[in-house]
Amino acid sequence: MTQLHFEDVAEGDEVTPLTVTPDATQLFFFSAATYNGHRIHYDRTWAVDVEGYPDVLVHGPLQSALLARAVTDWIGGHGRLVSFSAQNRAVAHPGQELTFGGRVTGVRLADGRGLVDLELAGRRGEDVLMPGSATVELPLRGEA
Amino acid sequence: MSTSSTQTPDLIPPEALEQVGTVVATRTGAVDQREWQRWAVAVGDHNPLWFDADHARAHGYDDVIAPPLYVQYAVLGVTRLDELRPDGSSGASSGNLAFPAAPKRMAGGESTTFHAPCYHRDEITMERRVESIVQKQGRSGAFVLVTWRTTYTNPRAEWVAEATTSMIARP
Repeated sequence: MTQLHFEDVAEGDEVTPLTVTPDATQLFFFSAATYNGHRIHYDRTWAVDVEGYPDVLVHGPLQSALLARAVTDWIGGHGRLVSFSAQNRAVAHPGQELTFGGRVTGVRLADGRGLVDLELAGRRGEDVLMPGSATVELPLRGEA
Repeated sequence: MSTSSTQTPDLIPPEALEQVGTVVATRTGAVDQREWQRWAVAVGDHNPLWFDADHARAHGYDDVIAPPLYVQYAVLGVTRLDELRPDGSSGASSGNLAFPAAPKRMAGGESTTFHAPCYHRDEITMERRVESIVQKQGRSGAFVLVTWRTTYTNPRAEWVAEATTSMIARP
């Protein structure tokens, strides 16, 4: 992977999208890795009969981690995540294909640092399940 | 809360409201490389900064670093199985706020500013306050929105991260 530099990006550029179809195994490992016992992520009877969902739910924090992964993959090893935000707007279920990505909304130099603002979204088809935003720092050419 | 609505149920008990503005959780926990790598593979995030020390050093770090979003999990405590809520969730790190009239919980959102990277065995201290608890009216009825403000610091007394997180509870 070649390193992305501040000078390479302009408003409107796309964050390389990441497409993932979470399955029950991934949900299990994410619950385990985050010490999350919430039954809506693994107990289908609870999710359907008690909480009224059609199936178990993909964790909101897993979706936000996937959204952040799309960003950290795109900015490369010399890039830095400065801030990140995401909102859960709608639920997702295992077996559904989800796409995480975004677009550059602004570039600015601040105290010699190359900062890039991003508008992000986790989507299922055309539906935005998780809108978000981030600011990243990219190296200047000649720095790294 | 609306004054025009005649039958808006009150979903927020007074005991919960009393916690607004107070510190509801303070915890210190060690960031552990194996645990963040378990988190990363669960996300399918194989970024070599989290796994490969040579790669991390070549990019200006002293060693492998934790994925920024992982840090919130490093300080989680444990909950006895017989003290979990009926839905299996643990309230230990959020102040055990109870909303008996709105038991269906889901994560709302998160907004975090990252100041410094976390290394293996860093002792991270978290302090979490309840910023607000409000009842709102959505398309599918009334719900409670809880917002927390959380800070994370490391043993070098640096700010690691500051986060605002929220949770939605529905009847």
